[in-house]
Amino acid sequence: MSTILTYIAISDGKLKRSSLEVLSHCKSLADAAGASCEAVVIDANASSFIEGIQKYGASKVHVVEDPIFKNHMNTPLLKALSKVMSSINPSVFAFASTEGTKDVLGALAANQNAAVIADVASFKLIDGGVTAKRPVMAAKIMNNTEAKSDKVLVSVRSGSYDLNESPESAEVVNIDFSMDDSEMKSTLREIISASGDTIDLNEAEAIVAAGRGVKDEDGKALISELASVLKAGIGASRALTESGVYDPSLQIGQTGKVVSPQLYIAVGISGAIQHVAGMANSKVIVAINKDPDAPIFEVADYGIVGDLYKVLPPFIEEIKKIKS
Amino acid sequence: MPDVYAPLQIKEGELIMDADRMVLNAYDASAVEEALVLKEKHGGEVEVVCIGPAKASETIRKALAMGADKATHIIASGDEEYDSASYAKILSAFFKDKEYDVIGLGKQSQDTDSGLTGSMVAEHLSLPYTTNAVGLEVENGNLVVKRQGDSGQEMIELPTPCAVTCSNDMNDPRIPNLKGIMASKRKPIDQVEISSLGIDETELQADTKVTSYEEKPARQAGKKYEGEAEEVAREVAQLLDTEANVL
Repeated sequence: MSTILTYIAISDGKLKRSSLEVLSHCKSLADAAGASCEAVVIDANASSFIEGIQKYGASKVHVVEDPIFKNHMNTPLLKALSKVMSSINPSVFAFASTEGTKDVLGALAANQNAAVIADVASFKLIDGGVTAKRPVMAAKIMNNTEAKSDKVLVSVRSGSYDLNESPESAEVVNIDFSMDDSEMKSTLREIISASGDTIDLNEAEAIVAAGRGVKDEDGKALISELASVLKAGIGASRALTESGVYDPSLQIGQTGKVVSPQLYIAVGISGAIQHVAGMANSKVIVAINKDPDAPIFEVADYGIVGDLYKVLPPFIEEIKKIKS
Repeated sequence: MPDVYAPLQIKEGELIMDADRMVLNAYDASAVEEALVLKEKHGGEVEVVCIGPAKASETIRKALAMGADKATHIIASGDEEYDSASYAKILSAFFKDKEYDVIGLGKQSQDTDSGLTGSMVAEHLSLPYTTNAVGLEVENGNLVVKRQGDSGQEMIELPTPCAVTCSNDMNDPRIPNLKGIMASKRKPIDQVEISSLGIDETELQADTKVTSYEEKPARQAGKKYEGEAEEVAREVAQLLDTEANVL
């Protein structure tokens, strides 16, 4: 029986929702194909996540636990993933397309001589491999890409699939791992954590994103207040991360994060094609912009034409009322 | 790579680009820029390498006009069906017996956004590497890279030789001036045939293949609310609750 394996990413001590989305999808693919749906988690506290993973239908959870995985570093992660692949020999190995995944996916494919399709919007099994849909050409169009191989790696954009619980009492398999200091090819000096306790954009149910229209501290304060009322993550257009108004890790768009929350509120964002490429898959999009011809309105479900400084205060107040 | 902002259309699953021009990938331009900055600070030489058909020479000239010292053009006919893995194998074969401190690459190409080739090359050459760099410094002969990770920026120190893939958030690539453009015409471009790199042609056969193109499912524009700010703000907030059900 062939195995479809999903890599479960952990970030800041939490299961990444995007990897559980991928696991949910792999479960349904495996059921339809009569394959085994398995998962692997690699972390300093990997075993503490087993329960959370079982809920999404993995029949086996492979666990690689070692203190070295406390922070992301590509040398140990690559070594662990290579070992996992060699011992499990999955026909498909699926990942959520996080920055951690992007850092090792190509190297893993080269190491394992596997075919690889990165950053897909959807994928399914075909005879002898996988076929996937990928946004290309600045996300203006899609292509269909086929990988014909007995080993296929695929990474999936967050929000491409819904979470789907189907609890299994999974068998837990511990995989030995050890790594000598001399094997480390690079050194992690420090992590400059910009986010602190802010909400991870790839995981957020709601996002409030600021654009060029947000001009000053008053504007930023309104963005923060709206985000706080909605328990939303804060994102920004490239214009505002480049000018240093918001941290680069908050950039949404083709070159930043690609997000797909339930609710996306674009405030003072014109909607350049590069930005839209990063948020067009959101379930409900609200745009607030004073230019009625701003392209963001072409993708917005609800467009408010008006000055954000005048629109946001009553908007926030009304949402507070509804929430209370 | 083709200019992703040129008009394009899809006919029966095939992609048709109206313009036949090749441009320098924005992420690669950032890698070139950063190499030039490091050279200005620490000395050394900047060499650019490009795999592409004959018309890619224009793109190579642009990097030379920015200030790169010399170039190698690995000639592809343009008809090959290569994927990221094929390109990584060609580059690795080229670099195998070369001396270098750092191989800088764009983190992905703007047309396909795959982002695989850089770490593939590093793996083939057993190089220390990192991806998605937003800043580079040289300290005590090591490369110190600031990379954008999932929940913060990671400062990573790499011994040389190493490979690094660059984000376009790293810098604003310089626009070549007239002097640079004139100088670029005298700079050498080495032409190399893939067949001379000692790779078995069957190894370059791609495992992945684009079978067709299609339009994105269009997102319907919703309703625009214009009028008195206070009124429309409250109306839309209500609709998010009662109609869209997302509050």
